[in-house]
Amino acid sequence: MSITSLAFAVFCVVAILVYRNLPPPYRTSWLFAASIGFLLTWAWDLAAVLLVVATVNFFLGRWLGVATNRRRFLLWTGIGFNVAVLVALKYNGFYVPALTSLLERMGVQTGEGGLKLLVPVGLSFITVQMISYLVDIHNKILKPEPHWLDFALYVVYFPKLLSGPVERARMILPKFKQPVPLDAAAVERNTWLIVTGLVRKLILADTLLSIIPADIFLHPESFVGQELAVYLLAYTFVIYNDFAGYTSIVRGVSGFFGIELTNNFKLPYFSRSFTEFWDRWHVSLSHWLRDYIFFPVSRALKKKIPNRENIVHLVVPPIVTMLVSGMWHGLGWGFLVWGGLHGLYLIFERLTMLRGPRRLPDEWPKWRQVVSALVVFGLAAMAWIPFRMNLATGWQYLVRMLSLDAWRMPRLWLVQAVITGTREVSSWREFGIPDMRVFLMLIPALWLDWNQHRWKSETFFMDWPAWAKGLFLAIVVLTILLLSFGETSAPFVYQGF
Amino acid sequence: MARVPQHTKSALTVILSFFFFFIIIAICCECVARTSWVEKISSYRSVGNHDYQFEIKWFRLEDYVKQNGGVDVIILGSSLVNTGIDPDVMVEAFFEQTGVKLRIFNFGVEGLTVAPNSINAGILVERYHPALLIYVTEMREFVAGSGLEAETPFLADSWLRYEHGDFNMTGWLIDHSAALQHYLPYRNWMRADFLDTQPHHLKRSKDTTASGYEHDNKIGQNIDAIPDPNNPDDAENFAAYQNFQIDPRRLNNLKSILDLRQNGGPTILVVEMPVYPTFYVFVGGEAVHKQFQQTLSGFVKANGGSFLPAETCNDIPLEGRSNRWHLNYIGAPIFSKCLGQQLSILADQQNSDFVHLNIGSSK
Repeated sequence: MSITSLAFAVFCVVAILVYRNLPPPYRTSWLFAASIGFLLTWAWDLAAVLLVVATVNFFLGRWLGVATNRRRFLLWTGIGFNVAVLVALKYNGFYVPALTSLLERMGVQTGEGGLKLLVPVGLSFITVQMISYLVDIHNKILKPEPHWLDFALYVVYFPKLLSGPVERARMILPKFKQPVPLDAAAVERNTWLIVTGLVRKLILADTLLSIIPADIFLHPESFVGQELAVYLLAYTFVIYNDFAGYTSIVRGVSGFFGIELTNNFKLPYFSRSFTEFWDRWHVSLSHWLRDYIFFPVSRALKKKIPNRENIVHLVVPPIVTMLVSGMWHGLGWGFLVWGGLHGLYLIFERLTMLRGPRRLPDEWPKWRQVVSALVVFGLAAMAWIPFRMNLATGWQYLVRMLSLDAWRMPRLWLVQAVITGTREVSSWREFGIPDMRVFLMLIPALWLDWNQHRWKSETFFMDWPAWAKGLFLAIVVLTILLLSFGETSAPFVYQGF
Repeated sequence: MARVPQHTKSALTVILSFFFFFIIIAICCECVARTSWVEKISSYRSVGNHDYQFEIKWFRLEDYVKQNGGVDVIILGSSLVNTGIDPDVMVEAFFEQTGVKLRIFNFGVEGLTVAPNSINAGILVERYHPALLIYVTEMREFVAGSGLEAETPFLADSWLRYEHGDFNMTGWLIDHSAALQHYLPYRNWMRADFLDTQPHHLKRSKDTTASGYEHDNKIGQNIDAIPDPNNPDDAENFAAYQNFQIDPRRLNNLKSILDLRQNGGPTILVVEMPVYPTFYVFVGGEAVHKQFQQTLSGFVKANGGSFLPAETCNDIPLEGRSNRWHLNYIGAPIFSKCLGQQLSILADQQNSDFVHLNIGSSK
């Protein structure tokens, strides 16, 4: 069940109405049942795997909570278990072909197309949540959850199941037990979060994604420089609006249950430094990485090299953290390079900060803020290249995009020739004019971001007069309806992680 | 009286404003779309069907009927009809023989076999009441599974299902909204291939005459070469047709076209397209073709239709073909003239001039 489908909307309305009318003691059971129901619409074996993961971590957590010795061993067993499940199921592309051929050589039938393993959606998100749960218990900042049902709900809670946000147990478990009362302001806010999410996903991300030619990420050599640049710009906005849209929708839905989820995106493309970028992009994961990778690595280094001015302190924690971030997205060289690039950006930034007094971006002169934001945006956009395509193709893409030879002057005379009927063209690309539809779609995308930035509110519509809200809603619904006639559809990009 | 809380009032205002603006915007778009100005700048309309050529024909026929007060003869079939029959030439030929000016429309649509065309035929007859329906066919479309790739999305279309009597909201909306019909040609504006395919669609729309004929400029090569199973270019056709058998389901489709003549419906004429004889090598030779003709002729006649075999109008030069099956701009007028003359003979036999008596569209 896709979260932008009508079926999901009906499912949510029923789940919320029942939840709100149930006596509080039964609400957790209902939410758990609804989440399992949602999971079953994907695959029954997925539900089974997640319940096993939940149960193992539940008992490991309890064991860790009462253990007085061998706690470290227990913690690493738990981490090992969760990573093993992730590697076994998510990264099976690495070993399944070899395993299939081995089994076949041993005479074991693996079925048509070889061995196929289940790929549980959202497993990467669940794995990091389970690890932080065990680490927090080990570090005695969290007591183990005594009730299996509450813990299992933490694992399978449907609004955050597919692509997060990555919620810490210590933050969300109390919310399950004591949800926020739903007043009129909360209803309106949640509604606008959902509307904003739908705008980002259905109007902005899906449309931009459809505009990008599929083969540009496979054969960049057949595109001219300006096309590569414009479609990379489009992809940069696709991935942001897709994921931010998803997060906004699920936060809105979760809000109706009185359970607030973390805001994952705080206008990342307005960041003026990479430190700021990672405080705004996929916030729940980047904060997790900061707390469970960056800080522990820094602390470990500090024990070995007490001098904080040592270059190792500047280089190792960010690069390790960003490489782990890359690996979390997938075991591929492209993701590693993406993480590595961001690690390098952070290192460079930390090195430049050594040179002068440390000032926050808000204290910088305006021009520097603008220039820095553009540089950060440009470098972040270029880092999406290895994220999106294999390394060799990505390199080709980058080199071609940056090479002046690959840029062509727009052939405006051809436009005139076509209008006057003296020439026919078989493809729009013969004109050498960048795809204007990308710029057309960037106008509403930037308008939305700019207003959220300007009013410092993701639901700035709430301050509008009623008629303006009605008009905006009418335009949104009409646009979605008209777009639905197009023969395109796109799954959420981050659902693959 | 209890006072309505402020937030409830505010929510209500938003909801009411939403409906108000939604309706106002929809009405404004609808009004603008129905002006002659829009018609002038964007004559290309669509019902959202997967087959854009079907849409060209659908609206061209609608305009044709508006302009001519009705249609007497509708010619239905695949791309063979689209590029192979020029109704204007047929009209002239028929006029020369009978002195009667028929209103003939070519509703040939690429890729559509007898299966989807049986549905098209029903819709067109119900809507326009032609006096004569010509179904042009050939052997390939009686092979089970042929043309499925075009048929499946075509038949799944909401609007077509609505037209066929299966009520659905989308179909109703498209059928009744001029604004939507003007938007739908551009519905895929966000697709990567739109900028390349749309000019092509527009060109084909422009190239299609008011009576539905689209000329083909290509002159075919090696049409007379005997197909060779070892030649990779021919292998696909051998694989598809070498064990030629008529699929009974396709005959049933043809029967539903023939059944349209009942209860005062049109005369049905089934015409076999004169494909180039080397094609018959794929199906097993001329004997297999003859067998097919016999079966088809018997079937058509048994169900009250008339049948015109391929050899009736087979005087087409080699350069009049764009490939073994399709006629080009040289062949189409020759075939169309012959068909017009044959029509006059049929009219004579049936003691009818095929003029549709009801003026205008019935729907």
